[in-house]
Amino acid sequence: MSHSVELTDIRKTFPGVVANDDVSLSVGDGDIHVILGENGAGKSTLMNVLYGLYQPDSGTIRINGEEKRFDSPQDAIDEGIGMIHQHFKLVGPMTVTENIVLGSEPTDSFGIGVDMKTARREVREISERYGFDIDPDAVVEDVSVGVRQRVEILKALYRGADILILDEPTAVLTPDEIESLFEVFEELIDQGKTIIFITHKLDEAMTVADDITVLREGRNVTTLPVEEATNNHLAELMVGDEVLLELNREPHPKGDVLLTVDDLQVANDDTTLVEGVDLTVREGETLGIAGVDGNGQSELSDAIAGLLDADGGSVTFDGEDVTDWDRKRLNDAGLAYIPPDRQEQGLVMNFDHGENVILGEQHTFPIGRRMRDDELAEKIIEEYDVRTSGTGAPAKSLSGGNQQKLLVGRELERDPKLVIASNPTRGLDVGSIEFIHEQLLSVRRDDRAVLLISSKLDELQQLSDRIAVMYEGEIIDTVDPETVTERELGLLMAGQELTDVSPNSDRGEGTSQTAGIDGESE
Amino acid sequence: MSDAGPKLPDRAKRILGRLVDASARERILISFASLALALVVGAILLLASGAFATCGSPFLVFGGIEFCYNPIEVYRVMLNGAIGSPYSIGLTLRETTLLILAGVAVAVTFQAGIFNIGTQGQFVVGGLAGAALVQYTADILPANAVGGILLFVLGLAAAGVAGALYGALPGVLLAYYDANEVITTIMLNFIATAVAFTTVRSFLREGAAVQTALVPDYAVPPSIVFPEASSFSVLIFIPTLLIAFGAHYMLKNSPLGYNIRLSGEQPAAAKYSGVDAKRVIVRTFTLSGLIGGLTGGVFVFMVLGYWQPSVPQVGFDGITVSVLAANNPLGVIPAAALFGVIKSGAIALDLQLGVPRQLAGVLRGIIILFVAMPEFMRMIGRKFGLGETSATPAQERVTEENDD
Repeated sequence: MSHSVELTDIRKTFPGVVANDDVSLSVGDGDIHVILGENGAGKSTLMNVLYGLYQPDSGTIRINGEEKRFDSPQDAIDEGIGMIHQHFKLVGPMTVTENIVLGSEPTDSFGIGVDMKTARREVREISERYGFDIDPDAVVEDVSVGVRQRVEILKALYRGADILILDEPTAVLTPDEIESLFEVFEELIDQGKTIIFITHKLDEAMTVADDITVLREGRNVTTLPVEEATNNHLAELMVGDEVLLELNREPHPKGDVLLTVDDLQVANDDTTLVEGVDLTVREGETLGIAGVDGNGQSELSDAIAGLLDADGGSVTFDGEDVTDWDRKRLNDAGLAYIPPDRQEQGLVMNFDHGENVILGEQHTFPIGRRMRDDELAEKIIEEYDVRTSGTGAPAKSLSGGNQQKLLVGRELERDPKLVIASNPTRGLDVGSIEFIHEQLLSVRRDDRAVLLISSKLDELQQLSDRIAVMYEGEIIDTVDPETVTERELGLLMAGQELTDVSPNSDRGEGTSQTAGIDGESE
Repeated sequence: MSDAGPKLPDRAKRILGRLVDASARERILISFASLALALVVGAILLLASGAFATCGSPFLVFGGIEFCYNPIEVYRVMLNGAIGSPYSIGLTLRETTLLILAGVAVAVTFQAGIFNIGTQGQFVVGGLAGAALVQYTADILPANAVGGILLFVLGLAAAGVAGALYGALPGVLLAYYDANEVITTIMLNFIATAVAFTTVRSFLREGAAVQTALVPDYAVPPSIVFPEASSFSVLIFIPTLLIAFGAHYMLKNSPLGYNIRLSGEQPAAAKYSGVDAKRVIVRTFTLSGLIGGLTGGVFVFMVLGYWQPSVPQVGFDGITVSVLAANNPLGVIPAAALFGVIKSGAIALDLQLGVPRQLAGVLRGIIILFVAMPEFMRMIGRKFGLGETSATPAQERVTEENDD
């Protein structure tokens, strides 16, 4: 079997970190090769080396048997490598065609202007050849995330890519969209392309892979054909020891109503982001909020937490009307908030642990007191198993999982009555996910409450007592996590009411496509 | 923000990103390396321009070319002129005092991620206010030591308050009207200069020259330790050092300081933690203006003895000093000292070696440019969101705020 990509002993270090520790790997021509690993295992670094974004400290890259050296992505593109990043690099107000040809436009007969007619024809041809159903004249900001991803793929194909690298492409997609992405994979393979697919989701790896390479702590643990892999085996390889994937959410009696949200409205200019949401959360209860990113969940959580002003309705917390309270006052009243973006919002990357653990409480410090709390930081490091070099290390030196533990520890150590957790385990490794799930369960055990906003269905089902599904700013249904299926949740998230559903119905597909459009721009 | 950063070549992005991520030790090393490089480039420049100049006694004749300026001699005279005698040390420290104050004023805002170019304007307004107060109250107060101290204190207070108010203005414009601080502060600098000129010419002038009345001798802080001719007072220098230490202490030991640093590092985190970004912006600007105004007051009382519309660009030098010090108020002290040395050294060159003033100015510029540029590039890299630890610029934060 011929190998289209061969990486030999690739080593890449950053100050203080070995991201790739002599990784070797070969990808068979016409294969789908999955690179599996936890966050921080070195997957993206390895692919950025292959794509010319990073120069390796040592090691060689061979493409179709020939040794290559890539100083920039342009060199890699010239060798037929295309990379589709997790965050799209598209221009919203421009059409699909314009985006695809951007930077390599066909010129008109004068050699100056852009020959849009040829461009459109070429885009249509290439789109048909790979069975993509895409309107070349659609404006990118009007199409769904799934379609945008295809535009990205077409962009790479238009530049003559034979080897496509996809960096966690499924993170932003709904289950339906993931399925159709995999169909696209098949089409690409039929046309003789090679795919390198980065993910940390076991199921996806098992579904599409020919070969799976597992990376752990910068090293290639193993490469094995999919026939020899099982979910449990792969999970073990990823984390190094046996993982418990089932969580024990024992029933717990509910207390008084702690949070009541009544007809809450949040608008931005002329668009309504949250529309008439009603919620109640009781003591000892976890309420899950499901939905595709960008359907108003983050605005809802920001509004309840006091970061956004409500445009209507009311919020009652612990018996008081807190609709107009700001974040400071709500924090003091016992409403903790684990924000969706730990590196931009929740932690200050250049602040050390001692400084980070007072974030949100800084206004309680008198003038003259050092603006840090090393004792608290020590305690959190100890109790929340934060692996760090010490309280004086900046937050940026921690891995994602340890950053989140520090953040979760800080919020929970304030002994809150209610914890709003917005995507608390996004992008984390299995070990950290389990730890944080356990912490959220203990909040509930202590007769306190959790409002869990998540795009992960299994997480919601494992942790929640009830799941409310948000779609286009409204809560369209509240379901019991014990009885609801992932398929039913998926349909609700796509805006279809469960009573509407007949087994073959495709109705509502069109609307679901517009759901998560702004999801990535936040 | 998914496609962060300007359209730069990847290599430039990488280099800027690397600078952004450089450690404190690396940055100090870079500064010294830049200084050495600047001296080498300056030496080449001196040799080259010396070959074109005509002089009676060239220090070197080589291949028929006469070299007029000996770089080693030039550097020796510069150093000597800056720290060779109590008098020259006094001059250097006098310059350093102003630069420390201006540098701290700038550093406070830069720490908050605000690109405040307005210290010069606050310096002008502060100096004017201090001088005006002296002119109007000198006659009322007794002409003795008590009156002098009173005049001095009131004068500096007026300078500080005027600077603070003038500094608050761009703060309010940025926080509540989303007006870019770089543009407003530059415009306010022009306005300050024009207003100062008109005020002095129309209201404060006593003689023919467009300048305010002299500060009476008894209100000028005495030059102890250093010769009187250097008009440098330790009594002002020490409080200046205290202001730098105080600014550092404020940043580390007060909620406002924490919020200033927080807003500069990560505006989104500031918002998340319940910080009112608008209030922090206005307070930071006010504080910076206060120190900028004090700089003007010190200039009037210690350096010039009166106020006139054309004053040195202390406020702009403060930006360079602050950048060189990585916006750390304590780092401002050595950075300002370096600048003070270069400045008074350049003056000595002109006087002692006959090196033209323009060439001395170029030499000074080269050193400053080389030493400040790495830190400046680092700030640009951060502003563009390069490197692994970048923050979002102030402008974006306010835009987000005003959207909701």
